[in-house]
Amino acid sequence: MLFNSVVFLFAFLPVTYAVFWMLRSTQARYIWLAVTGYVFYAYWDARFCLLMLFSTLVSYFAGVALLRWDTDARRRKLCMVIPIVVDLSLLGFFKYTNFLLDTVADVSRAFGGDPPVRHLNVILPIGISFYTFHTISYIVDSYRRVIKPTRNFFEFAAYVSLFSQLVAGPIVRFRQIEADLENIGTTSRTQWIPIGIRFFVIGLVEKVIVADSLAAFVDPALASYHTLSTAATWLAMLGYSFQLYFDFSGYSTMAVGLGYLFGLRIPQNFNSPYKALDPSDFWKRWHISLSTVMRDYLYIPLGGNREGEAKTYRNLMITMLLGGLWHGASWNFVIWGGYHGVLLLTYRRFASSWDRLPAIVRQLAMFLFAVVGWVFFRATTMTMAMAMLGRMFVPVAGQLEPAAALALPLVLVAALWAMVGPNAFEMPLERQWKSRLALTASFAASLALILGSRPSPFLYFQF
Amino acid sequence: MKPLRILVHLLVFVLVLELTTRIDERLRFGTPLMSRVLSSEDLREFREGAVQGRPNARYQKWGLNELGLRGPSTTREPRPGVIRIVTVGASETFGMAEAEGREYPRQLEDSLNRAAERQSSTHRFEVLNASLPGMSIPSILLGLRGHIRSLSPDVVVVYPSPSFYVDREAPHPPTDVQPDDTLSLSRAFRPRVLPRIVDAAKSLLPAAALDRLRERDIQKSIEEYPPGWRFTSIPQDRLALYSQHLREMVGTVRSIGAEPILMTHGNAFMDGTRNEALARAWVRFYPRATANTLIAFDSVARAVTLQVAKDSGVVVVDVAADLARSGKGDHLYSDFAHFTELGAARVATDLRDSVRALVDRTTRERDVAGVVLQASGSRAPRATGGLQ
Repeated sequence: MLFNSVVFLFAFLPVTYAVFWMLRSTQARYIWLAVTGYVFYAYWDARFCLLMLFSTLVSYFAGVALLRWDTDARRRKLCMVIPIVVDLSLLGFFKYTNFLLDTVADVSRAFGGDPPVRHLNVILPIGISFYTFHTISYIVDSYRRVIKPTRNFFEFAAYVSLFSQLVAGPIVRFRQIEADLENIGTTSRTQWIPIGIRFFVIGLVEKVIVADSLAAFVDPALASYHTLSTAATWLAMLGYSFQLYFDFSGYSTMAVGLGYLFGLRIPQNFNSPYKALDPSDFWKRWHISLSTVMRDYLYIPLGGNREGEAKTYRNLMITMLLGGLWHGASWNFVIWGGYHGVLLLTYRRFASSWDRLPAIVRQLAMFLFAVVGWVFFRATTMTMAMAMLGRMFVPVAGQLEPAAALALPLVLVAALWAMVGPNAFEMPLERQWKSRLALTASFAASLALILGSRPSPFLYFQF
Repeated sequence: MKPLRILVHLLVFVLVLELTTRIDERLRFGTPLMSRVLSSEDLREFREGAVQGRPNARYQKWGLNELGLRGPSTTREPRPGVIRIVTVGASETFGMAEAEGREYPRQLEDSLNRAAERQSSTHRFEVLNASLPGMSIPSILLGLRGHIRSLSPDVVVVYPSPSFYVDREAPHPPTDVQPDDTLSLSRAFRPRVLPRIVDAAKSLLPAAALDRLRERDIQKSIEEYPPGWRFTSIPQDRLALYSQHLREMVGTVRSIGAEPILMTHGNAFMDGTRNEALARAWVRFYPRATANTLIAFDSVARAVTLQVAKDSGVVVVDVAADLARSGKGDHLYSDFAHFTELGAARVATDLRDSVRALVDRTTRERDVAGVVLQASGSRAPRATGGLQ
């Protein structure tokens, strides 16, 4: 089920919302949130609810065991390792089996052999990368005593299966919404309505009006990338850069709005990343929840920047390569991660010189670096990525998509919003009726587009 | 909130909803902001004694060119050296579920020209889609004698819809249309967001509820008529009429100097699968027939089509059998009888081979006999290539 679908807007959300606020007890609200999370998930494929339930049960019991063996270091470690191994095994099997098999097959063929095992018919359960990280972060934080594991199964189940963040994040750590979950029985319904609606509508506009309109040009253009001129390839990639941002940021902003509607404050996931002045700044602004999870659960445990320059570089590269791989089981994503790793290393090495450049130059340069990186992110094969980069950097004639005339103004508007304008968190929360009127108009415009077409899935669903 | 402000919010909401719908349709489909075309029925008009496509009309994803044909812009006179094929039929041929350019006539044109290029053939093909939703054979016959004839087709591909023959009344030439079929200016101000809302509301209903609503519609239609009105078995007089109309079609196509190709009508039930809800969706359009009768009539009509083709020496493409044999009904039909893009591709492939065989045969005949192909002799000689 998509946030930008009729069934979500006019059936799932109203029913979930109405029943939630009719229920009075904390426990009833936990149960309701957990149940609706599973219904939301089952709308895509009910079979995989069992997988999520299994992952939830393993982490829940590990949490309870951590409470029980509070002073037994060996058992505590086991309580952390077992759920992590289970979760990563599930993620590994469903997401990376074929990647591994394909790689082995490619290597075998390169050496003139026969692939030992063929491609398996494994379906990637939607959102597995996100809820796996939810459960892992919960169990690691419990082990580190950052949080106290909950004994209430439904509280934990509601956290893992919370529909607003279930399939495309943000990766909300238990500690970030623990207090709100504890107070869910007494939270005020009216307090959060204006801010919840505001975030939801802004996210809807980002997704439906900006990202989907860009997609109408970008998708067909990139489908015939081998025919595009240099200018058209750049235009398509600029369009894609903004499409991806507004798509994912739109989803995250809607998730924040939905969280507020249920009394849960979900943290900001995007902070105008195209305003970033350097690679380090970019990763503090893009997919913040993933960046911080990678930092806290991978980079810092690896040693972070505490063990000299060489090891810092190594830790950065490992983190970025695995971050790339998290996005998708393909070498393109690994290269994309590696590319950003190199940017981060280079910046770290030359930061003092870079930081002396004028801010506008740094912002534009960082944006262009990001656009080049998106080529690997968007391309379905390495051949496509290299061909597109070739077209971008070696002048070549070709066709300019017929829709380019329409795309250019749209890209410019998107650029202005993303690179100069305020993001959803920076917009002032005015309660004047004119602001509300603007929200009404924005919702109407988004709704007209939703009604007129099949809802397009969010790009980050694939991860 | 004060009542006046609520009213202002409502007004803004409705206005933006409508305006965005119009802008969206303008950008996506090229529909004019003040279009007077409000439904697929408005795509048709009664002109020069026949039902034709309204030139340049567009409704949602369905658009007609300046000649009132579904497809890209073209000229009335065929281009030199191009074999012109005209497809006639109802909504199946018009293309309801397929994206623009993916309906079978378009795919046929692409497929024929690609094959011709591969074989370095000098033949080039143009396929004009003269079909319209709801066109029965008598309506098509009027068109063939009028505007379709003026297109100078070399081949006319006929995909008849036998289900019209179990409708309330037997198909007959249109009589209830207004001579002045222009769309009034007031239509430009009617809300265009409404069909979107209705479709969205339907999508919210569970399949079982939709099925119940269809069943209720069928019952209401039946109750308007006396007992015994329904066809519970194949009405032989209607079947005979279908046969007669089809033969008339073949004769008319030949009389305008074109070669006919007949196709059998397929449906989603011919591969033996039976989906009651889908059958009810079909019956809702033809409540006079029971589901069994409707499905059986299509099968018997297939046999009649094959017989007519055999008797008349006409090329026939047994689309119904081919699609049924594939066993992929779910993928080939978007509902009970309309094609998906994959189904349309399959039909196009089936047709392509027959069209090429027909062209090769007539070319050989021309080479051997040294005469121009003139099936009936009544067609004015064309100065521009084609099968001649």
